[in-house]
Amino acid sequence: MHYIEVKNLAFQYEEERILENISFEVGASDFVMLTGENGAAKTTLLRNILGLLKPTKGSVQLSPINRLGERLVIGYVSQQVASFNAGFPSTVLELVQSGRYQRGKWFKKLDKDDREHVRRSLESVGMWEMRHKKIGELSGGQKQRISLARVFATDPDLFVLDEPTTGMDTNSREEFYKLLKHNSSEHGKGILMVTHDHEEIRHYADKHIELVRKEDSPWRCFSMDSCKELSKPLS
Amino acid sequence: MEMFFHGFMQRAFQASFLISLIAPILGLFLILRRQSLMADTLSHVSLAGVALGLLIGVNPTFTNILVVSVIAIVLEYLRVVYRTYSEISIAILMSAGMALALVLMGLNDGGATLSMNQFLFGSIVTISEQQVWMLLILTIIIGLLYLIFRKPLYILTFDEETAFTAGLPIKTMSVLFNILTGITIAVTMPIVGALLVSAIIVLPAAISMRLSNRFNGVILIGIVLALIGMFSGLVVSYKIGTPPGASITLILLIVFVITIFMKKILHYIKREKLFKSTDMSVD
Repeated sequence: MHYIEVKNLAFQYEEERILENISFEVGASDFVMLTGENGAAKTTLLRNILGLLKPTKGSVQLSPINRLGERLVIGYVSQQVASFNAGFPSTVLELVQSGRYQRGKWFKKLDKDDREHVRRSLESVGMWEMRHKKIGELSGGQKQRISLARVFATDPDLFVLDEPTTGMDTNSREEFYKLLKHNSSEHGKGILMVTHDHEEIRHYADKHIELVRKEDSPWRCFSMDSCKELSKPLS
Repeated sequence: MEMFFHGFMQRAFQASFLISLIAPILGLFLILRRQSLMADTLSHVSLAGVALGLLIGVNPTFTNILVVSVIAIVLEYLRVVYRTYSEISIAILMSAGMALALVLMGLNDGGATLSMNQFLFGSIVTISEQQVWMLLILTIIIGLLYLIFRKPLYILTFDEETAFTAGLPIKTMSVLFNILTGITIAVTMPIVGALLVSAIIVLPAAISMRLSNRFNGVILIGIVLALIGMFSGLVVSYKIGTPPGASITLILLIVFVITIFMKKILHYIKREKLFKSTDMSVD
């Protein structure tokens, strides 16, 4: 079952072509990494997929349901969240708890199970001790971690992550990739992740999409080479 | 005590109590959505609504609500068009509202100057029972909407893209929020005045944001601060005959300065304590 289906997507901003000929799928249990040089429109592609931007050509289909036939829940971590820097009056715990709202809790009280999810999510990124801190007082790396904790608390069917490991050390990155891999292979989650660490992550991801610059285009336009299946080292 | 026996003062206190309940809720969302000046824009526009009402002989509060609601929708459209420079929409509509108000007042041959003054600077004498009832209905609506939708509003305010991917109707929510802000300004304006209504909405939340780490905490402290500012402002206004909006704003500003000062002192004391305990542990 495909959670994301991108067909021949093209995107242009005013007259400038930015993306062309993008086609790929992300299914349940797929761990897909998206790479490309700086300015390769990786974030623009994610924003097209999520519906934050409208493709100029082609189509993006987001499955309305997950593999169990329930409404598909998406967990998105963007590169930068403006409110983090604006003294937003919220504790770490409040923010991570808000990840549970998407799980049918917009108008209901969070229960024991929700609180357990939140605790485990905060522990998985090493932020449980910081739960009563104001989010604006955290460092860049810590803010990134609680964004991830929030998404883990949501327990989405599809993770869409934009350079989520910025500010993490090697060990934390390794732990994070293992956690994602566990989510995709054991719990059937789909993952689409923009990253620069393709050497580190290739042992965990199933597919690799690289955005490459089109040589024949007069604009700084990017396209995808192919969607490579990644071979796994023998365990 | 004698002031509490006057009907107009009783209505003024009732209205102030209700404004104190809704101002911090709207104020906090306005600040966090970087729309503090939107309240100012809408108050300028609402002058045009009042001028229109006085010109055509209809209750100015009703024409005001209509005009402000339309402009609140236009504001949201312009905010999206000029996403990077969202203050442009504020600059355009603020001057447009003021210009329109002046033209409409000019067409009225100066007959409504007295009423316009009341709307500009506010008046506690003119608060009618009808206005208190309108405020009560508005307070109930805003209170209920906040209680029901506080979780979606929290996400919308935190990050619109996160809210969108979570499946929230962000456009509809933003427009409804703007309209509610507009209606609040239209109903509150005759009491506190067009020039200072935005300060009364924004200041309690701005102060309480420095006093609480939690979202609901900011709103609760904001309500207490608004009550202090509104009630003491009314008393001052009654005793020395100053415009209520100006008295309330000045009192809230004094609270703001005291808060900053106290926070600095507390921070200093905490730091000194920490240094002392570190020194002792080294010894």
